[in-house]
Amino acid sequence: MTLFHFFNCAILTFGPHAVYYSATPLSEYDTLGTSVKAAVVYLATALVKLVCLATFLQVSETEVFDPYQEALKAMIGFIDVAGLYYALAQLTHRNISQNHKFQAVGLGWAFADSVLHRLAPLWVGARGLEFTWDYVLQGLEANANLVFTISLAALGSLMWLRKNKPKSLIPIIYTCAIIIATMPSITSYLKRVMGWHFPKIVGFELVTSLVMAFISCQLFILCQRPSL
Amino acid sequence: MAEEKKSKQRHRVMVFESMYPILALMLILVACVELCDAATVVDVYRLIQYDISGVPFGSRFSSLNHHAASLSFQRGADLSRSVLILPLRELDIAFVQDYISQKQSLGGLLILLPQTFRPGNVGGGSLSSENDGFRSLLGQLEKLLVHGNIPFPVYFAFENEETDAMLADVKKNDALGQQATATTGGYKLVISVSEPRKIASPTITNIQGWLPGLRAEGDSSQLPTIAVVASYDTFGAAPALSVGSDSNGSGVVALLEVARLFSVLYSNPKTRGKYNLLFALTSGGPYNYEGTQKWLKSLDQRMRESIDYAICLNSVGSWDSELLIHVSKPPDNAYIKQIFEGFSNVAEDLGFQVALKHKKINISNSRVAWEHEQFSRLRVTAATLSELSTPPELLENAGSLSDTRQLVNEDAIIKGVKLVAESLAKHIYGHQGKDIKIFADDSSLAVNPFYVRSWLDLLSQTPRVAPFLSKNEPLIMALKKELEDYTAEVSVQHESLDGSFTFYDSTKASLNIYQVASVTFDLLLLLVLGSYLIVLFSFLVITTRGLDDLISLFRRPPSRKVKMG
Repeated sequence: MTLFHFFNCAILTFGPHAVYYSATPLSEYDTLGTSVKAAVVYLATALVKLVCLATFLQVSETEVFDPYQEALKAMIGFIDVAGLYYALAQLTHRNISQNHKFQAVGLGWAFADSVLHRLAPLWVGARGLEFTWDYVLQGLEANANLVFTISLAALGSLMWLRKNKPKSLIPIIYTCAIIIATMPSITSYLKRVMGWHFPKIVGFELVTSLVMAFISCQLFILCQRPSL
Repeated sequence: MAEEKKSKQRHRVMVFESMYPILALMLILVACVELCDAATVVDVYRLIQYDISGVPFGSRFSSLNHHAASLSFQRGADLSRSVLILPLRELDIAFVQDYISQKQSLGGLLILLPQTFRPGNVGGGSLSSENDGFRSLLGQLEKLLVHGNIPFPVYFAFENEETDAMLADVKKNDALGQQATATTGGYKLVISVSEPRKIASPTITNIQGWLPGLRAEGDSSQLPTIAVVASYDTFGAAPALSVGSDSNGSGVVALLEVARLFSVLYSNPKTRGKYNLLFALTSGGPYNYEGTQKWLKSLDQRMRESIDYAICLNSVGSWDSELLIHVSKPPDNAYIKQIFEGFSNVAEDLGFQVALKHKKINISNSRVAWEHEQFSRLRVTAATLSELSTPPELLENAGSLSDTRQLVNEDAIIKGVKLVAESLAKHIYGHQGKDIKIFADDSSLAVNPFYVRSWLDLLSQTPRVAPFLSKNEPLIMALKKELEDYTAEVSVQHESLDGSFTFYDSTKASLNIYQVASVTFDLLLLLVLGSYLIVLFSFLVITTRGLDDLISLFRRPPSRKVKMG
């Protein structure tokens, strides 16, 4: 029975990635290689982030929100953005349109993130006899993360790969990108200072991810207009 | 332009539509958030399992892996795969009796005791009338369980917040008629221990301390001896909780204090009496005082013959105004008269009474009700000083669950100590009839209440069921060391317990309480997730490839056929 629960949470956490790949034209253009490369870049970024966090961050005993520490964490979070930039712009991909490139990169990135952060707790925890909602919530968080990553990749590709953008939209693009990049800090602020519990945070993440996806989709479409 | 607007609108609609499953999930989440309890672990203590001459008694099983059920279950429901949780507060003895006598199958029984019965719990003397009610109920329950052959595991635990919350939940569910099974969720109680095994060779350990008297120079005859004896081991429904504060922790404490007082007197040759003193802490008390018998038999014959008389202490901790001296020799026997007179004079001075009770020994009956009977069977004059008026039955009054520290009154023990010490001193120093108080308060020989209290507290937290005590048990070492401080020679005797009693181990365990979800819940979740993924798939196909592609996904096989044709 509890393996059943593990299976349920696993398909909630990793199913959407597979569904995304197969449903969109990504599968038709065989962009698996791009996703794999993006996953590898994510692994490298995670390692670098880990080393930086271990070196510069002080572990506090209590759940106190320390602005200095949070600012430091946010700055280290920008290593993520740098990694994404590298994956989007510097790596050579096969000839795939920009439209699909950012999706493939975002997908690979999010999948690696989910596997790295959520597979081990799921395997260890969800198979136990005791039932908790934690793993279902974690799966929902993985979904939100997927949407966030794809939105960030879209905005990233807009920022770094598209040369002609309407001037008015550039600040919006940058603000949205910064909001998405600092999501971890925002959630930790909510958890510690406002005292939100996990379900509330996951709900907030889901709603925000959809809003951000919508906005970045709109921006992408708006930016595509001049090239038409 | 119009087409763009249309696609944008459709896109917007799609976005809103896709939020519905997420909203639904969030609603379910919010509704069921209170099910987020973590697993709790509770210490539980198993009912004793023993055989007398092969006849099994007590609870015969130890491991447990069933759903929890409470008393509010529907009549006639099958409880053979459930653990019944019975708080002592709501116990119905008749119900338990029915269940055991009719041999109805039950997955297990968990009895929740109020915190006041916890061995370390000293405070809480309030609501004593309620506690008295619990004590008598607990006594009845124990008698029922200890003398019955119970084919399912029985455990005792102390109430705490987690068990209270769980019980309230289980009651609520049971009241709704939902029995907790694999398909309806609920609480699962798991105790994973191995099957109980026989204790290979249980030992009983007797500790004796010898305080020699003053022998005049050139006098080669043996000095007479007075013995003070108390049995220190206990027997109760839950061996890990049998602390026996009154039976016989009070006797042990009294013996130690008397030993201390006399060691002070005897340390100076000028005040040393012409009697040897023999202090013995015997084991095997509940089992017909087997330890005392073996100890006496191991004594040198001359030593045994030199014993003038022996005083056995049994339960001297919760009496008020009258203490009883039990004898087996007839009351008109000269020795008995002398002893009784000595004791009653001292008692009068101290402000209470002693009464003499005579019980003949029945040689054919193997039951030894009082410790002095073992002495009498070997022709040694002895008496038992006790607050009990009737002789206890086999395995009764030997440290039950309700015999905790709160039952014992230190002042009663102190009065008992004074009685024994003064009476012995009067006999030793020949002050009968004279009004001399040797162990007066405020003197250097006063009874030390702090000593009494500290040993009583220690004994009230140490379970002392003999088969579960190893040869080098810390308690035995402590008692030995204490007697070594007060007497000249200490010897420890290890004997094995009589073959007719067999005990089984596994007395303490950890209970894991899991909150489990039912299979139907998992299936429902699978359904929801499946539909979510399908909706996500369709949404993505529609937005990126267009609606036609989605439809064509389902129409592919026929179209191929057409092509081939």
